[in-house]
Amino acid sequence: MKKFLLLFAALTFVIGLSACGEDKKYEIALITDVGTIDDGSFNQGAWEGVVKYAEENDVSHKYYQPVAKTTDDYVDAIELAIEEGATTVVCPGFLFENAVWIVQGDYPDVNFIILDGTPHNVTNWDDPTTTEDETATLSGAGMDNMDFTNEVNVRPILYAEHESGFLAGYAAVKEGYTELGFIGGMAVPAVVRFGYGFIQGADQAAQDLGLASDAITIKYWYSNVFWETSEVQATAVAWYSTGTEVIFSAAGGAGFSVMEAAFQEDGLVIGVDVDQAGAAPEVITSAMKELANSVYDTLDEIYEGTFVGGVPVNFNVQNEGVGLPQDFSRFTTFDQVAYDAIFAQLVNAAIVVDGDNTQTLAEVAAKYGKVLVSDES
Amino acid sequence: MMDFINTFAEIVRLSMFIAIPLIIVALAGLFSERSGVVNIALEGIMVFGAVISSLMIGILFNNTDLSGQWLFIIGMLIAIGAGVVFSLLHAFASVNMKANQVISGTALNIFAPAFGVFLARAIFNVSKISYPTREFFIKKVTIFGLDLSNIPVLGPMFFTKTYITVFVGILILVIAYIILYKTKFGLRLRACGEHPQAADAAGVNVYKMRYAGVLISGGLAGLGGLFYIVPISGNYDPLYGVSGYGFLALAVLISGQWKPGRIMVMALLFGFFAKLSNMTDLIPLLDNMHLSTETLRIIPFVVTLFVLMLTSKNSSAPRASGEPYDKGKR
Repeated sequence: MKKFLLLFAALTFVIGLSACGEDKKYEIALITDVGTIDDGSFNQGAWEGVVKYAEENDVSHKYYQPVAKTTDDYVDAIELAIEEGATTVVCPGFLFENAVWIVQGDYPDVNFIILDGTPHNVTNWDDPTTTEDETATLSGAGMDNMDFTNEVNVRPILYAEHESGFLAGYAAVKEGYTELGFIGGMAVPAVVRFGYGFIQGADQAAQDLGLASDAITIKYWYSNVFWETSEVQATAVAWYSTGTEVIFSAAGGAGFSVMEAAFQEDGLVIGVDVDQAGAAPEVITSAMKELANSVYDTLDEIYEGTFVGGVPVNFNVQNEGVGLPQDFSRFTTFDQVAYDAIFAQLVNAAIVVDGDNTQTLAEVAAKYGKVLVSDES
Repeated sequence: MMDFINTFAEIVRLSMFIAIPLIIVALAGLFSERSGVVNIALEGIMVFGAVISSLMIGILFNNTDLSGQWLFIIGMLIAIGAGVVFSLLHAFASVNMKANQVISGTALNIFAPAFGVFLARAIFNVSKISYPTREFFIKKVTIFGLDLSNIPVLGPMFFTKTYITVFVGILILVIAYIILYKTKFGLRLRACGEHPQAADAAGVNVYKMRYAGVLISGGLAGLGGLFYIVPISGNYDPLYGVSGYGFLALAVLISGQWKPGRIMVMALLFGFFAKLSNMTDLIPLLDNMHLSTETLRIIPFVVTLFVLMLTSKNSSAPRASGEPYDKGKR
């Protein structure tokens, strides 16, 4: 027995050593933001794009989870990835704006893809004198210190979430639902645009159907979490049991709690970011951003040598970067034809969706008369 | 009036989903502290129980014919087992090694969520555990063909859209009371928490009793973890643990003065106010006040603090709780 154990220990030692000897490089790196790699929405969508490209073209790839959700930890994670051989770093989320701003000049040979944001040094928009640049003199004017340098090795990708949200709201009202809900993760630009677009889409459909003013009600709430909690579940239950028919959940993992509530109370859900139809039968459609495709296309440009960074690239209805999934089987009246019609109107700009996320909810609500928005925050 | 009653019933129904785990986990703390071991590892044990049982439920559902309530009951047994095994670490450190009980508890709290993520990733290659909670949901409770959901007031409170967790929880509360106050074992356990030297002199094996206290505590806390996560979602992310409900259970234990009856009252009170804050939509009066979500969310905690303030004067904590027992010391 003792001999066996000794042999076992020796073997583990040898195997352990040989593992250390391997000096593997990972060319494409992805850093996760607040969620995890399998959050069922944002990080996952971006990672799928990485995996798809990397596997098709046999490129090594790896993802990194920062120790904490601070700019310092994001920078550390990015630098670790570069040390391990990354030549392209994918940063999903506006939370990376400061981190990418810091590292972009230090690694001119490394390409950065940042989703949902552009590099800058402002750490607090309420007080633009607070910047990442510690050497800058903080003058009273404040604005002088803001820096939006976007080096040529950085490609920001922006999505027209408001158009995606618009289509979701349009589909729900066209289908005949009048009591809607919106649960956003946090009042961050992308989520806000989803919500404001949702209101506009509902309003547009109500106009097309000739409904009276305030015919549609939308409950509007930011849950302040992107993961499953009993608060989100109970709130969704309360909404469903007071008549809400469909809840559009733009809150990452918290959406799963909304789906659970929908199951318990026989309600319906609109998913977000990726096609979430597989997550629950209550998901009638999803307001998608083509995360995987946009990352895939950009990686392709980088490896083909046609990559030019420095300016943001927008993904919207024109280049089919946002939209609903092509499966309308969970609707009874709304269908492909109706979808294509409204999609075309967005593409040829017959309808323009307002994506200004700096307005307050009350301002937005006042503009669209067919919809009665009740602020639940 | 009917509206008011319905609303009230609805809030009570939902508050059960967090009150029951709180009761069970506070009872877990009760058994441990009554035996003389402080167990602040409740949070960690909850997470551990939740991780292991949800993983196993998922695996069993996909690979066997088990489904519905039987699967849930097996899941409960697994959660209890996982909690017992995990709390062995705490028992060993605090009883055998006479270590600082707060430190060993903290270690378990830190270890559990990380281990959960690791395990989920090692087995399923994802950090979220998905398991079939929908199997466990009961739309209407019927016994021998009798539809209990039609009972006025009580029907919508306890027998509609619920889980068996509610009934299991109440059963556990009753059993816990009987064990602690009506059996020889309970008397000895409590003696070890009050005056271990005297118990020892009377021929009680203090080490054994403390082990028993901590292991029962572990089993209950593990079960509480499963009960807490089931109504929330069919996806469990161990990274976010159980949102501090283990620590909340400790507060319930203290404000409940280490007595099962009062623990139940405190847990129900907390659960009610917590869900009230989520459900203002149902109450026109509250809805019209337009309080912010933040304000509403602190209400249950303020209430708990307030009760704690009122009751802490005549605190009746087990006297020897937190002190390692050393036979040689008098």
